[in-house]
Amino acid sequence: MGPDIAAALARLRRQRRPPEQQARTDGGLDEGSAKAPVSPVSKLWYSDAVQAIPFWLPPALLMGWFVYGAVGWNLLISLTDWSGLGQPEYTSLSLEMYRELPGDRSFRAAFRNTVILLVAFTGVSLAIGLVLAILVDRDIRFENTFRTIYLLPMALSFVVTAIFWSWMYNPTTGTINVVLRGIGLDVLASDWIGNPRTRLWAIIFALTWQFSGYAMVVYLAGLRAIPDEHYEAAKVDGASTLRMYWRVIIPQLSAATVSAVVVLMVFALKAFDFIFVMFGDNPGRSADILAVMMFRVAFSRAQWAYGAAVATVLFVMALAIVAPYLYVQYRRGAL
Amino acid sequence: MSDDTVKPTTDPTRADTRLDGVDLERISLYAILCGLIAFYLSPLWSGLTTAFKTQSAFVRTSPLAPPMPEGFTLEPWELAFATMQGGLLNSVTFVLPATVLSATLGSLAAYGLTKLSWRGQVAILVLFLAGVFLPYQSVLVPLRQFWSAVDVAGLLSFAPFLANRADLIELTITHTAYGVPICTILFRSYYLAMDDAMIEAAKLDGASPFTIYRRIVLPLSAPMFAVALIYQFTQVWNDLLFALVLVTSRSNYVVTQSLNVLQGSMVQEYNIQMAGAFIAALPTIVVYVVFGRQFAKGITGAS
Amino acid sequence: MAPLTLEHLTKRFADGDDEIVAVDDVSIEIEDGEFLVLVGPSGCGKSTTLRMIAGLETITEGTIAIGDTVVNDQPAQHRNIAMVFQNYALYPHMTVRQNMRFGLEESTDRSKAAMNETVEETATLLEIDDLLERKPRELSGGQQQRVALGRAIVRDPDVFLMDEPLSNLDAKLRSGMRMELQRLQADLGVTTVYVTHDQTEAMTMGDRIAILDGGRLQQVATPLECYHRPTNRFVAGFIGEPSMNFVDVTLEDGHLVGGGLTYPLSAATRENLQGHTDLTLGVRPEDIEIREGETPGHHEVPVSIEVVEPMGDGNNLLVELVDGETTLTVTVDGMRHVEPGGRSLARIPESAIHLFARATGEALHNREIEDETALLGPQG
Repeated sequence: MGPDIAAALARLRRQRRPPEQQARTDGGLDEGSAKAPVSPVSKLWYSDAVQAIPFWLPPALLMGWFVYGAVGWNLLISLTDWSGLGQPEYTSLSLEMYRELPGDRSFRAAFRNTVILLVAFTGVSLAIGLVLAILVDRDIRFENTFRTIYLLPMALSFVVTAIFWSWMYNPTTGTINVVLRGIGLDVLASDWIGNPRTRLWAIIFALTWQFSGYAMVVYLAGLRAIPDEHYEAAKVDGASTLRMYWRVIIPQLSAATVSAVVVLMVFALKAFDFIFVMFGDNPGRSADILAVMMFRVAFSRAQWAYGAAVATVLFVMALAIVAPYLYVQYRRGAL
Repeated sequence: MSDDTVKPTTDPTRADTRLDGVDLERISLYAILCGLIAFYLSPLWSGLTTAFKTQSAFVRTSPLAPPMPEGFTLEPWELAFATMQGGLLNSVTFVLPATVLSATLGSLAAYGLTKLSWRGQVAILVLFLAGVFLPYQSVLVPLRQFWSAVDVAGLLSFAPFLANRADLIELTITHTAYGVPICTILFRSYYLAMDDAMIEAAKLDGASPFTIYRRIVLPLSAPMFAVALIYQFTQVWNDLLFALVLVTSRSNYVVTQSLNVLQGSMVQEYNIQMAGAFIAALPTIVVYVVFGRQFAKGITGAS
Repeated sequence: MAPLTLEHLTKRFADGDDEIVAVDDVSIEIEDGEFLVLVGPSGCGKSTTLRMIAGLETITEGTIAIGDTVVNDQPAQHRNIAMVFQNYALYPHMTVRQNMRFGLEESTDRSKAAMNETVEETATLLEIDDLLERKPRELSGGQQQRVALGRAIVRDPDVFLMDEPLSNLDAKLRSGMRMELQRLQADLGVTTVYVTHDQTEAMTMGDRIAILDGGRLQQVATPLECYHRPTNRFVAGFIGEPSMNFVDVTLEDGHLVGGGLTYPLSAATRENLQGHTDLTLGVRPEDIEIREGETPGHHEVPVSIEVVEPMGDGNNLLVELVDGETTLTVTVDGMRHVEPGGRSLARIPESAIHLFARATGEALHNREIEDETALLGPQG
């Protein structure tokens, strides 16, 4: 800085503060001087908590109404006996609809199928996702391309994948049977989605195709977080590759597994679109799930209150999956 | 999924196989990976070949075989497009606003949350997070009740063009509302990593909270907007359930609905079905191929 | 430009069911145009104090006044304060010009041309006028530092706050910037509060330094006064590098006894002790004289030289008393050759010793200063 700094500054200051120039106050609350004493009300007004309200409250209200308002309303409707045309009668509420559920054979079937879908789909997707992640993580070329292709089905609509898989499962010209016959396994070829015994498993297989890429992405992130030294240490200890993954690496993926399980299970609960497109609103007792049953009961048969009761069961199931997860995340300070 | 984390080439897990000279393990690794690619692409491939085949061709040939000149046709695409073009247009008009609104509201909410104390933040955040995992069946009946009570068409009767689109407006608002939770979660994790001192500097510079958002936070949020927009776009574009419940007039059918109709009406014409599926999937496939990284970030955002 | 007054300033944080007192009843009057350095170890409350002045942290008790106005309840936006952050906190998406102009745009109604003129003048002053159209990420650390300073200067604030602004610079750049900052502050004449954990910065930069420990204000005084007349043992040990030697001693028959030391104390010094007998003796490394010899004279003690650290301009010695486990740090002239392992005599002149009450750390007796007004200025 030159020696004429003082002069430059004096000039600067003159320019900076023309006498008529007052500091402008922001927000237009206390016009005049920014230095006016401020009342406690204004102190509260300027606190971060109050200033933040306009930002988060409107989105929270919109979301809150559509999520929590609607869940509550659904519960209320499930306590009425509303069906057919007309409006629900909120004056006489009872648990009648819930009492009917256990005796309803189609509910029992749908419930059982939902649980099977939940467990089998999640388990298989995790296993395949883990294998994919380990393979992709082994320092391969074109890793990005492989990863992109494995995850691609996830970007597709259930409507689209259901149409693809209806064709895949076509008993005469579908790819599955064509390939099976091609490799001499004619005996295995069958009408996968026509036969009630294989229908649910065919659905699970297709959904696994669609979502195992997701499990891969989650596991890949988990694998990348493990320091290289752990691989090296296991190698130095003389562990085989298989043992290394089994004993050293996979145990470190428990956090990734937990979050993938939760998300996959919730996907499974939502797997409505796929089954609806493939089979319409009645896939038969062998492949019916609660999500489809709820839609059928409420929107095709107009048994609104009963549909709402089924919906509540679905909600409670989702809550049972998510609540422990959120609690653990909260305790770990991961929120 | 990011390339920043690619392991160095000295990955110890493969050093020994390198030394063997014969790299059997590597060869089998690539063989498995390519086999998996075949598996993951087979439904799309057999759909694509079928979409270019005539009715007789796809019945006679293997779905894996590409169409031969004598069995080649573009007709399924033309037919499918003709059936679905209304749905495509409707989807475009409602998906874009719903996506932008969700992302914007999510960004605003996340910015507001970062200003709260940790306890307050977490309490509200849990409410948002639970919203991400909500099975939509549990809100369908009230949703239908709510929108039949609001009578959007009646409110918009002064503008017949909008009134005719009431179903789509309801769908837009509904998707916006259910998109807010995931967008908020995505933006919050992004804002948590933002430099606090920078926000404080802006405060001391005299900027109000809204100015700080508009001039500092928003311009710096562009990467996260890409993630949120892309994720929401695929979610909303791909949805069928809400459309089934809220869109009743055929002229307002969205693309997934018109594809569903197409499938139901052309049960044996698999070539048209496949062409329709590809037409419906094309926007999401393009978005996915171009913005794969952002998509992956979006789907892992909730966990 | 205005004086800044902190009165009984207190900040308590809730930590679960506990309460943490980060700042405890701090009162400082900072004169108009003064450069005050807040210094202390990490967690001493200096940053919290600064953030309360800025309005970034609420005040639990006490008041902060700029000029005659209590600003406790004014939001940060309205206080007309500028702050330089440790990591500079520049807006990464804006050019240097936009960064510097942002504050003017938000706090005044001036025309764009007038704002640009101010920005350009200030940039010239800081020799960053050729960087105005660059983005922060294209600048070196030193350049970013100047932009951060420039952003604060253009605002022409009543008070400048600086939060360890030099700690991200490398050592060489730091000492240059230290001088430049002082000069700039003197020329601008803006009341400045500067936070650092580095006692060298505190000593060299401040008109006065305020030393905090555990949220409590230990001393506010000129750097030399803190150095020569610390109010307590903490200040004595914190200020000065290498730090003061301390030996726990007991007053017995007019002698300080402890750690292998038997040190006769004059009656004049004893009078200052207010009856305390459990004491800590303090002496600065440069006040201890080392000489060759066998027989200890008055205030001398035999020592063995353990370690010699040649610093060029001086040697830092670590010596151990022959009769005890006590070690002392001694600095001697750089031109003098000292070998480790030898035995010598260390003289501790009584005029240079400090005595602290061992229980409270309070200074009972500080060293003598020959010409007080010349060294410490006219104030008492």
